[in-house]
Amino acid sequence: MKKLCVNVFMLIASLLLSADKIYKYEILAENLSHPWGIAVIDSKNIIFTELSGQLRIIENGSLNPEPIKGVPDVLFAGQGGLSGIILDPDFNINKRIYLSFSSPNKGEKTNTLEVISAKLNSNTLEEVTSIFRASPSRKTAAHYGARMAFLDDGTLLITSGDGFNYRESAQYLDNHYGKIIRINTDGTVPADNPFISEDGALPEIWSYGHRNLQGIVVVDGVVYENEHGPMGGDELNIAEASKNYGWPAITYGKDYSGATISPFTEKEGMEQPIKYWVPSIAPSGMTYYEGDLFPEWNDSLFISALKPGDVRRIVMEDSKFVREEILFDDVGRIRDVVSSPDGSLILATDGPNGKLIRVVNK
Amino acid sequence: MLLNSFNLIVSIVLATCLVILQETMSNMLWLVSVDMPVSATIFLSTYFANLFAMNLAGSVPLIALIAIGFLIAYSITKIILKWVNVSLSYAYALAGAAAILAIVLLMPLAFYNLDILAGGRSILGKSILTFFGFMSGYFFGNTLEKNRIKS
Repeated sequence: MKKLCVNVFMLIASLLLSADKIYKYEILAENLSHPWGIAVIDSKNIIFTELSGQLRIIENGSLNPEPIKGVPDVLFAGQGGLSGIILDPDFNINKRIYLSFSSPNKGEKTNTLEVISAKLNSNTLEEVTSIFRASPSRKTAAHYGARMAFLDDGTLLITSGDGFNYRESAQYLDNHYGKIIRINTDGTVPADNPFISEDGALPEIWSYGHRNLQGIVVVDGVVYENEHGPMGGDELNIAEASKNYGWPAITYGKDYSGATISPFTEKEGMEQPIKYWVPSIAPSGMTYYEGDLFPEWNDSLFISALKPGDVRRIVMEDSKFVREEILFDDVGRIRDVVSSPDGSLILATDGPNGKLIRVVNK
Repeated sequence: MLLNSFNLIVSIVLATCLVILQETMSNMLWLVSVDMPVSATIFLSTYFANLFAMNLAGSVPLIALIAIGFLIAYSITKIILKWVNVSLSYAYALAGAAAILAIVLLMPLAFYNLDILAGGRSILGKSILTFFGFMSGYFFGNTLEKNRIKS
C-alpha cells in the first residue's frame, strides 16, 4: 500500500513537472555508437559523426543504416575518434564538409588531431584532402578539442586541445596544443593570422592558453568557445585573435589528483572567462539559438554538458553573461547540441547507445 | 609487531608527503618559469593544501594508493628475505622504490596513457619519485634492522 502511494505521488509529481515544460522530445535515431558531432543540412537531413569512426546521415527524417563511405581511418581510443563535423558555408553548391578526428601515425604509437575536407556525393566522401594536422603528435588519447566553426571571412577555426599530458605546451607558440587554429579551407594559412610573423611560432595559431575546447560558435563575428577545466574550472570564453587564455598558468580548477595546478586565477595579459563552473559541468557542444519554435530562447547560447547531463541556456547581454538555465536534464550525458533551421534543437546523447533527439515545442 | 606497524604507517606517510612535495615543486617551478609570482608563502600554502586535497579531494586518495603499493612490495620483500641474506634497509628501500615506480608507470595504463600524477610525466620526475620511494623504504628497513639488533 505504502509503495503504491509513493508511486502515485511520483507519477503526479512528474506529470506536474512535465506540464511546466514548453518542449518535448522526438527520437531521431538511437543505438548509435558514441555520437559526437552534428551538422544540419536542413530540417530533414542531418549528418553526424560517431566517435567509433562512422559518418552517418539522416535522410528525409530516417537514419540511413549504411554509414557514409570514404571516411579515413581514425584512432578510436580514450577520447579519440571521429569527432567534429561542419558544413562548408557554400555546402548547397559545393557539397563540401570538414571532419576532425584523431589520426593514428602508421608504425608509431602516436597520433594527432587531423582535419580533412571532402565532397559528399550521395553516400560517399570524395576528394578527401587533409587540410590540418596538429604538431607535434601525442602519445595520449585525450583532449583533442576537435570542434570547428567558420569566421565571417570564410576562414576555418579549429579547436586543438592540450593532449592532457602536455598542458604546459598551451602557453608556448611552437606547438598546436591548447590552441585555436585558423586556416583557409584549402589548408593554407591566412596572411593576417596573428603570429604569422613571430619567430618560432606556428603560423596557424589564432589564440592560445586553452585546455580542451569542446564547443565553438561564431555569433555576429564574436567567437564563443567553451572548454573543460580539470576538476572544476570549466570555462566559457570570448575568443579573440592573439589572446592568451591562461591555461595552465591561471585556472579555477584543480588537478584530478587533487593537486593545485596553479594557485593563480588571474594575471595581466591573460584573459578571464565570461563564465566558469566549479564544480565541472563538462561542457561539450555549443550552439546559438535563433528560431521560431521557442521565441523565449532567442539570442541564447546553448551548451551541452556531460556532467551530470543537461544543456545550459546561457543568456548574454552585450557579450556579457547574465544568467543560465538548466534544460533537458532527463536524457543523460549530452555530447552535442545544434540548432536546426526549423527552430528545433538537436541533441546527441553520449555513449555506446547514444541517441539523436530533436527538441520541439509542445 | 605494534612498533613495526607504526613504522610501516610512518613510511607510508613519509612517502605520501614526499610525493606531494615533488608534485607541488614540479608545478611551482613551471609557474616560476612563466613569470608567475610564486613566493615562499604561496609555495608552502599550496603544499599544505595539496597534502589535504591529494588525500581527500582527488580521484584516488594518494595515501591509500601508496599504502597498497607499499604493502604489496614489503610483503614480497619479506618473503624474499627468508632466502636471501641482504641488508634490510636496502631491501626495503628497493621495495619502496619499486612500489612508487609501479604506481607511476601503471596508473597511466589505467587512464589511457594519462599521467594523473603530473609530477611523474618526465623521466626526471619519475626518477625523483622513485628516489622518494627508496628513502621511505629505507626508513622502514632501517628501523626494522635497528629493532632486530636491539632484540
